[in-house]
Amino acid sequence: MTIEPGMIWIVLCVVSGGLLASLGAHLLPVGGEPAAMGTATGIATGTVMIMMGAVMTGLFTASTVSTFSNNIWLISLSGAVGATIMIDVVMLMANILYAFGCGVVPISGRVAVDPITKAPQTPFKTPQTDGHGVPDVVFISGTLGGFAGGFGGALMYFALLAYAHFSYGTAAIAAVSIFVANAILAAYNIRGTTEGLYDPKFKRLPKALAASLAVSVLAAIVVVLATIALGEV
Amino acid sequence: MAVTPAVEEEVTAPKKRLSFKFPLAETELGLIAGIIAALITIFTGLPAVIKAVGMLLAFVWCTDSVRKTSKYGLGTGVPSIGVMAAGYGIVGALMGLAFARYGNVGQFFPGVLIGVLFMGGIGLVSGYFGNNEKYIAMKIPRLERAMGELGMAGTLAILLECSIVTGSLRFDAVVTQVMNTGVIAFMFILSGMAMFHPYNACLGPDERRERTLMVSIEISGLISIILGFTMVVLGTSPLGLWDPIALIVFGFIVWFVFYRRYIRACMKECYATVGTGLIKTIG
Repeated sequence: MTIEPGMIWIVLCVVSGGLLASLGAHLLPVGGEPAAMGTATGIATGTVMIMMGAVMTGLFTASTVSTFSNNIWLISLSGAVGATIMIDVVMLMANILYAFGCGVVPISGRVAVDPITKAPQTPFKTPQTDGHGVPDVVFISGTLGGFAGGFGGALMYFALLAYAHFSYGTAAIAAVSIFVANAILAAYNIRGTTEGLYDPKFKRLPKALAASLAVSVLAAIVVVLATIALGEV
Repeated sequence: MAVTPAVEEEVTAPKKRLSFKFPLAETELGLIAGIIAALITIFTGLPAVIKAVGMLLAFVWCTDSVRKTSKYGLGTGVPSIGVMAAGYGIVGALMGLAFARYGNVGQFFPGVLIGVLFMGGIGLVSGYFGNNEKYIAMKIPRLERAMGELGMAGTLAILLECSIVTGSLRFDAVVTQVMNTGVIAFMFILSGMAMFHPYNACLGPDERRERTLMVSIEISGLISIILGFTMVVLGTSPLGLWDPIALIVFGFIVWFVFYRRYIRACMKECYATVGTGLIKTIG
């Protein structure tokens, strides 16, 4: 048995996809149950649901592009764009609901002054809450997270499709499965709510990246072994 | 953020409970369910109803693992660990299917168990990283073992579902009939549902193991009904039309019996109920 360059590409793509999944999960605005009551920043559900929704949309766009293109960058970027659009629409709709339904303004609970627009945050925050909605700083962080996650998912999809020679459906579902395992390890690292880039919990990122690296290397080995077992017909 | 309070193991019952008791402890249940499910997985010539029994046992094992992990509080809600188990299951099933032709004699596929064992290993590694102080530090007792069990049980469940739909475990057959038709998508989410929904629905200070496991069996019945209709529509059963019809009837009986039992147990063990009429009349 010889080690072919395709196998090295599978390992590289799956590992970088897993690391990007972990990074993306840390950047998303996860609100959880407190956000459902309007007492915390972010989207009112868990990390896994947000990340899975985004990456599935990314895989739809990536698989559409992969029917007429073989370019790794084109496919990965189309996945990233699909995931970004999905997460942005969700954040925008969350803001509309919070503003016109609950009557609270999008305000960050972690920073006193918005680092990007310099808008003051603390005077508008309801006392004893942790912020509301999806303010500018969190919106940008979430967009980055969706981009990273979608790029990672589409990269894994491309590796499984082009180098492991799986069919479209098999490659997509395997990419989602490996992605979900990495995103959930990141979610356990976050524990509940996060605001993304400016949250103190973002400093815990290296720990999740180490765990994610180990799991994605093993998952890549699984894919490579499966490819070898299937290739020897 | 669903933080569940730590629940004492098997609190003594002050009230009179229903007579349904699950006789096995956690380790025994895991061993017995795992061995039976693995045996049913490798003999793919069996009728779909027997495979559905194996799937049911795998889901019960998985629910038990989810239950003993999640009662310490995961921080992100119970569904995450069920979706993770389903994801591990799909990766392990792919690996097992790729190795299926090693040692294959007729309808006997011992090679698929390589995927099950490998996924157990990946589960152990992710449990180690999840629990270790230097990494994610979840501090859940026996997380490593529970994650390994989740990987193995999830893989067995997905393999059995593929085996029910295609009637064999050949990679090409599974790819054309399960993956390319999109059946795998509902397998993924419904298997996750059978693993996380029971504890997610029943969690709380008065949670009881037997009652939680009943929900898992009930969802397995629903999955059997859907898989039976899939077999009828795809026409993939090697044993003729009676095979999917028997599976649908089996699924309906399992669902009806355990749904009734579950509602009865809930009505009996709760402090008081204010019924809207619908469920109370069924119970």
